[in-house]
Amino acid sequence: MTEVRLVDIEKRYGGFLALPKQSLTIEAGEFLVLLGPSGCGKTTTMRMIAGLEDITSGDVLIDNDRVNDKPPKDRDIAMVFQNYGLYPHMTVAQNIGYPLKLRGISKAECTARVLEIAEKVELEELLKRRPSELSGGQRQRVALARAIIRTPKIFLMDEPLSNLDAKLRVTMRAELKHLHHELGVTTIYVTHDQMEAMTLATRIAVMREGRIVQLDTPKKIYSEPVDLFVAGFIGSPSMNLIKGEVENGFFVAKGVKIPVQFSDRCDVVLGVRPEDLEIVERQRANIMAPVYALELTGDATLVTIKDGATSICVRGPADFEANIDEVCHIAPRKPEKLHLFDKSTGERLNS
Amino acid sequence: MQDRFLSYALLVPAFVIVVATTIYPLAYSFITSFREWDLTRQRTPDDFVGLQNYAHAVAETGFQNSLWVTVIFVVASVVLTLVLAMSLALLLRRRGPLHTFTRIILILPFAMSPALIGVSYRFMFNPEFGVLAVGLGSIFPGLKGTPWLADPDLAMAVLVVTDVWHWTPYMTFMCLGGLASIPRETEEAARIDGASGFRVIWEIVLPQMKGVLLVTAILKTIFALKMFDQVVTLTGGGPGTSTETLAYFVFNVGFKWYDMGYASALAWILTLIMMVISAWYVRMLLSDKNTATA
Ligand SMILES: Nc1ncnc2c1ncn2[C@@H]1O[C@H](COP(=O)(O)OP(=O)(O)OP(=O)(O)O)[C@@H](O)[C@H]1O
Ligand SMILES: [Mg+2]
Repeated sequence: MTEVRLVDIEKRYGGFLALPKQSLTIEAGEFLVLLGPSGCGKTTTMRMIAGLEDITSGDVLIDNDRVNDKPPKDRDIAMVFQNYGLYPHMTVAQNIGYPLKLRGISKAECTARVLEIAEKVELEELLKRRPSELSGGQRQRVALARAIIRTPKIFLMDEPLSNLDAKLRVTMRAELKHLHHELGVTTIYVTHDQMEAMTLATRIAVMREGRIVQLDTPKKIYSEPVDLFVAGFIGSPSMNLIKGEVENGFFVAKGVKIPVQFSDRCDVVLGVRPEDLEIVERQRANIMAPVYALELTGDATLVTIKDGATSICVRGPADFEANIDEVCHIAPRKPEKLHLFDKSTGERLNS
Repeated sequence: MQDRFLSYALLVPAFVIVVATTIYPLAYSFITSFREWDLTRQRTPDDFVGLQNYAHAVAETGFQNSLWVTVIFVVASVVLTLVLAMSLALLLRRRGPLHTFTRIILILPFAMSPALIGVSYRFMFNPEFGVLAVGLGSIFPGLKGTPWLADPDLAMAVLVVTDVWHWTPYMTFMCLGGLASIPRETEEAARIDGASGFRVIWEIVLPQMKGVLLVTAILKTIFALKMFDQVVTLTGGGPGTSTETLAYFVFNVGFKWYDMGYASALAWILTLIMMVISAWYVRMLLSDKNTATA
C-alpha cells in the first residue's frame, strides 16, 4: 500500500496562482475524496500527482520517494480523466486492454481480463465499437474500465461517474467500493456528488480557490463544518444559514428565537440542517413563518418557509400537508446540531 | 422568378471564364489526343487516328522511361517529404520562443520559386565552385569532385533533394495543424498507462494523424507527378534521359517536336494516373471515418 504526500506544493499558470502552497498526506490504502466548487483546483492537484503537470514549487512524495521529476509512466498510477481521454482509433476492447498490452501481457490473458472488466462496467456488448460510436456515459465507463484493469499503486479518478444515470451510478459506486475493499489501493477521487463523497470516502478534503479548507472524515465534515463555506457546500438540501445575533442566551432573527449556549454577540450566522429541524405544535415553536413552498421527495416533504429575507428549509414527514402562506411552526430537534458562525470571517464559533 | 434569373445571370461571367480557360482546352486536348497533328506541317489538326497516339505511347521507350523516372521521383519525394515533415512537426509542436522562431523561418524555402530553386541548386552542386559540392567534399573526402549532376543516379537524388527541400516546410505546417487537433488527454492517458515516448508517438499519435497524413500524401503526390520546373532549370532532363519526368517529356513532345496529337495523349495519360491515385487515396480517407475524434 502506498502513501502519497504533497508538501507545500504550489501551482502557477503564468501569473495565475491556481494552487497556493498546500500540504496533504494521503495515507496508505486511503480513499480520499476531493470536493469543491468548479475551478478550485481538484484536477490540477491530480495532474500534479500523476506527473502530467509541472509543479511550480514543493514536492510530491510517493512512498517517501520524491517523484517530482519522475515521468508518469514510472509512477505506477491509473487515472480516469475528467474528459475520458479515450484512444479514438482503438476499439473499446483495445482501449481497455492497452495498459496490459503495454506490460507485455499475453493476448489470451489480456482478452480474458478485458472481458471480465467489461462485464463489471456493463460494456460487454460494445467491445467492438469505437469511442466515437458511444454515448457519454458509455465512454466514461470505458475510461473507468481502462483504469481498473490493472492494480496500480494509486488510483486517480476525476469525476468517474458524473455522466452515468442514477441507477448505474449506484451500481458503479458499489463496484468501486468493493474494489477498494478488495485491493486496498490508495485512491484519490473527485466528485460533485455528495452521496458518492459520503459513501466512498475514508476522508474528504474540501477545497476552495486552491486551498484545502477542511480535511476530515465524512461524518465530521457533515456534523462539524469548520466554516460557512463547508457548511453551505456539504449536504443536500444545503444547511440553512440564518443571519442574526445572540441575545441573553437566545439566537434571534426575524421570526426566529432559539435558545443557544453562547455569550451575546452581534453578526452571527446560525446553521442548521433541514433534517435537524422538525415541524411542531405552536407552543414548542422556535421558528414561525408562512409556508413558501412544499416539495415532496418521496420519503419526506421539504417545507420552505419564508419571512422577509430569512428562508428556512425543513425536512418534514412525507404526509405533511399545509397551504401556502399558512404559518408553520418549527423547532430544532437537538441543541447540539446547531452551528454558530462568525458572519464576517465565516469561522465556526461553537465547538 | 426575377431573383432566380438574376442569380443565374450573375454566374454567367464566371461560367464563361471557366469554360474558356479550363473546359475548352481540356476538351480540345482530349479530342486532339485522338488525332494526328504535326505543328511543323500544318496549323490545324489532321485526321482522326483512333487510339494510335495512346498505342504509340505504350510502345515507345521514351515514354516508358519517363514513366519509370516519374515513379521513382514520386515515391522518393513523397516518402522523404512526409517522413521529414512529420518528424519536424513532432519536434516543433511544443511551445517556446525557439520553436516559434524555427517555425517562422521554416516557411522560407516554400516562398521560393521552383525554377529558381533549380538554378540555385545547379550552382550549389557544381563540382568545382558549388558550395554544397565543395562543402560535402571537404566533410567527406571521398565525395570530392563528385560530378553530382552528370551521374544519372546522383542527378535524380539531387532533384529529389531540391523537391523535398522545397515542400517539407509546407507539409510540416500541415502536420503541425493535425497534431494540434489531437486531444491532449489521449497522449497523457497513454503516458500514465505506461507507454514509452516512442510508443506514444507510434501507437497513439500517428494513428490519429492518419487522415492528415493521407491528405498530405495526396497533395504531395499530385505535385510530384507534375514535376517540371526544377527538371528544366536543374538537370534539363539529363544526363541522357535519366531525370526526364512525364511532365517534362510531354513538354518536349509538344513544344520541341511539335507532335500535338501525341503530346495531348500523353497529357491525358498523366491526368488519368493522377485521377486513379487520388481516387484511391480518397477511398482510404473515407474508410478512415471511424477514427473521428472521440
Ligand atoms: N492550462 C491552464 N492554464 C491556465 N489556467 C488553468 C489551466 N488549467 C487549469 N487552470 C485554472 O486553474 C484552476 C483550477 O483548475 P482545475 O481544472 O484544477 O479545476 P477543477 O477543480 O478540476 O474544476 P472542475 O470541477 O470544473 O473540473 C481554474 O481556475 C482554471 O481556470
Ligand atoms: Mg476538474
